[in-house]
Amino acid sequence: MADSLQLLRGTLDVLILKTLAGTKLHGYAIASRIADRTRGVLAIDDGALYQSLHRMEERAWVESDWGHADTGKRARFYRLTEAGRRQLRVETANWLRYAEAVFRVLQPAAA
Amino acid sequence: MTPTDPGDQPRRFRPLRTSGQIKAEVDEEIRFHLEARISELVRQGLSPTQAREEAMRLFGDVEHTRAEMSAADQRRERRVRRREYLGEVLQDLTHCVRQLRRRPAFAIVTVLTLAVGIGANTAVYSVADHVILRPLPNTDPGRIVALWEADTRTGQARREVSPGNFVDWRERAQSFQSMALIEPYGFDLSTPDGPPQALRSWGVTEAFFETIGAPPVIGRGFTQADHAPNAPFSVVLSYRLWQQRFGADPRMAGRTIQLDGQPATVVGVAPPWLRYPDHRDLWNPKRWHYDGERTDRSSSYMYAVGRLRPGVTLDQARAELDAVGELLATEYPATNTSVRINPVPFDEQLLGDVRPALFVLLVAVGFVLLIACSNVASLLLARAAERERELAVRAALGANRGRLTRQLAAESLLLAGLGGLAGMGLAYLGVKSMVALSPPNLPRVDTITVDGPVLVFALVVTLLTALLFGLAPALRASRPDLLTPLRAAGRSIFGGADRNALRRTLVMGEVALALVLLIGAGLLVRSFVTLLANDLGFVSENRATFQAFLWDLNPTAELRLQRMQAITDGFLATPGVEGVGITTSVPFHPSAIDPMDNLVVEGRPPLPSGEEHRIYTLIASPEYFPVMGIPLTAGRPFVPADRLDAPRVALISQTMARRFFPDEDPLGKRVRFGVMGPPQSWEIVGVVGDVRPRTLDSDPRAEVFVPLAQTANGSVTFVVRTRQSAADLMPSLRAALWAAAPGQSIYYEATVEDLIASTLVERRFHLVVLGAFSIVALALATIGVYGLISYSMAQRTSELSVRMALGARAAEIILMVVRDGLRLAVPGLVIGAAAALVLTRFMRTMLYQIAPTDPLVYGQLVLLVLAVSAAAAYAPARRAASVDPARALREE
Repeated sequence: MADSLQLLRGTLDVLILKTLAGTKLHGYAIASRIADRTRGVLAIDDGALYQSLHRMEERAWVESDWGHADTGKRARFYRLTEAGRRQLRVETANWLRYAEAVFRVLQPAAA
Repeated sequence: MTPTDPGDQPRRFRPLRTSGQIKAEVDEEIRFHLEARISELVRQGLSPTQAREEAMRLFGDVEHTRAEMSAADQRRERRVRRREYLGEVLQDLTHCVRQLRRRPAFAIVTVLTLAVGIGANTAVYSVADHVILRPLPNTDPGRIVALWEADTRTGQARREVSPGNFVDWRERAQSFQSMALIEPYGFDLSTPDGPPQALRSWGVTEAFFETIGAPPVIGRGFTQADHAPNAPFSVVLSYRLWQQRFGADPRMAGRTIQLDGQPATVVGVAPPWLRYPDHRDLWNPKRWHYDGERTDRSSSYMYAVGRLRPGVTLDQARAELDAVGELLATEYPATNTSVRINPVPFDEQLLGDVRPALFVLLVAVGFVLLIACSNVASLLLARAAERERELAVRAALGANRGRLTRQLAAESLLLAGLGGLAGMGLAYLGVKSMVALSPPNLPRVDTITVDGPVLVFALVVTLLTALLFGLAPALRASRPDLLTPLRAAGRSIFGGADRNALRRTLVMGEVALALVLLIGAGLLVRSFVTLLANDLGFVSENRATFQAFLWDLNPTAELRLQRMQAITDGFLATPGVEGVGITTSVPFHPSAIDPMDNLVVEGRPPLPSGEEHRIYTLIASPEYFPVMGIPLTAGRPFVPADRLDAPRVALISQTMARRFFPDEDPLGKRVRFGVMGPPQSWEIVGVVGDVRPRTLDSDPRAEVFVPLAQTANGSVTFVVRTRQSAADLMPSLRAALWAAAPGQSIYYEATVEDLIASTLVERRFHLVVLGAFSIVALALATIGVYGLISYSMAQRTSELSVRMALGARAAEIILMVVRDGLRLAVPGLVIGAAAALVLTRFMRTMLYQIAPTDPLVYGQLVLLVLAVSAAAAYAPARRAASVDPARALREE
């Protein structure tokens, strides 16, 4: 993974929020899903992911409860709060506008 | 990877976590993650060791992550906890408000009681703080000493100082860094339009402002050069004159003003608090008025202050001054045989008179607060008892004990807070009215406000009170033994005796304290009434006075007498005037001129030095006596024929006749004395009635009057008798004076009634304040008795019902309850009377012709409190007696 891309600031938060949309997951499941979807392009420390989760819980974007994983082990499950869903909408819109703008500059003008 | 159901628990019921729990959960979460990752990697074909290494690499910095996770969790936990706590407090408060609104009488009485206690205390402490508790504003005030002549023969300890003695003291006493003489003086300030304004001044010798430690706020004090014999005329203005007359001009220093028609340079403005010996308009360097003044030891009418050298104690200075006094007595036996020097520490000089009275007020107001607190405590105890069943039920249903305690504390704090707030309002009004009532000798009184430290004091009192009366019932009500009240609920007949013991004690204490205050106030009232009943010896109603100094504008005796006649005619021509008299000394007048001299009765052997008869020498016109209503009791009055060129005649007061002519007729006797001048021979032609000279409690003096026309003295006061209120006529009288004497300043004008009233201000102040306190105390104690009796009536409903069912009549029930009320009052009265016997001794200086143990006052007030207590018990008694026994028993 030497050629993985470093994450832009704040990107991890929105990725986690998107992953949690409409479901409850523990931290390992979140990491696996993000890795699957990005096909390993983005370099995400697992530690950074957990820090982000707890920071977002402090901001009440996500909330957590203890439950049992498929293996039967106790695990902490996260889900979005109403504030988290709102945050996801805002961040997604921002990201799309950002990406569009950057893309327009980088893409040679259509003849 | 679908999660199993973690349980849809609403989050507010999740128990709060400790920091240890938080760390454990974070560790568990990380361990779960690593294990899941490792087993995944092993499944992909890595060896367990490789898998572990890879998992750790993918995770990154474990320690840092763990710390960050815990920190975030702990911050969240704290916020949740805070929010829940605030929510509970808010709940408690709304619960309180709801509870109190259901019992408005209880709430209002409690809040008002607290407000009165806190408000009165804050007001009195504000005044006391400003007047007696704060250090004097003077520089190094501990070294300032007021210096007086002490007359060992008459026992007068603080007599004004003669210039001759002062000069010797200053030369000889080494204990002092400096000494200054202060002479009452005056100037006419020229005004651009209208007549000149008479200003009162203090003529001071070198280094006065340094000695008294009052550096001017603008400009400077007097320098050596200002005191030089032919120096240009310079003055220092009082703060008040600077503000009122010169618009607080910041560049006042250096300005020239016209005094007595001469230009004078203002060199400075004194600080506002400088008012010793009393407040005057300005200061001037003292001039020596005549050749022998520096050695004049007989005219004592000046004041002196000194500043001790650093390190010299008052006792050392006193010892040195004693020696100086002895020496002067041997050197000048004619004047100084009985004269010693009395140094008085400056704070004692300024505050000595007001301190005892203010301490009495402080103690009194402390009593009011005690009564208020015990009343509130008693109210809350009753309320807690009432709510015991409610609290026990809630505790049984699982409310935790801390929460219940907090709820009760919240109620107390809410009441205390409201009481404190209302108390601050009362304090503000109280300070305003105390300042308005205050006597002029209260130093610094005009700067008094409800201020910072006192506000804090009130707050502390409020909070302590809340804790005192709030937590006691709370602890009691939330004690672990929750079942007792529940069990007791079924059978409350004859119950509650011990529970009321504390309240009974509190109410007895209230009655005792209230009686002490009432006795204090009663003694003051009796003193005041006795004082007002004193015969003045003259008539005070409808008399106006105008004091003026005619010397400058009328330099000869002839001119002065003509001018006085013109002014008299002007007054007489004013509508509403019935008569005009002239004298140098009107009774009760603050600037009456009544010098003393030795009396020599011709034909008697001369008296040894130091034992001469001392008399007050006054001057009056023939009309003065009838105008003032002073009767002639023997001989003849002054007549217009008693002129300069006629034989010199004198009238004497009854006291003088009694004292110096006890066994003979004074009429026709020739006596020698001087009236502001060398001794002359006078023939006594009549005796006039005694008057009280200074205050209502001052004794008549040995006074001699000589005719105005035979002295032509220009320092006179006109007394005008008017048909109606003299105050209404002042403006037209003033105009008449100026019409008859253009350019003449009026030094002092007042009605005689105002002169008398101003001598009573201090007594009235004590009387009103202590009277108000004692009435408040009685009202609070009455509420206490009433509250306790009504409460125990409510508790005893079933007992009374049984009695009535068994045939007791309403009258018997009422009698029984009233007797209960009296049983409450009597021990309180006994304690109160005993305490008053001890405490009122400290009021001795405030009393007049009444013993602090006067049995009549004690008896009357004990009866009053008894009657009030009986009345307070009567109301609930009647209510109890009118209960329908059958219904009351059914309700139990």
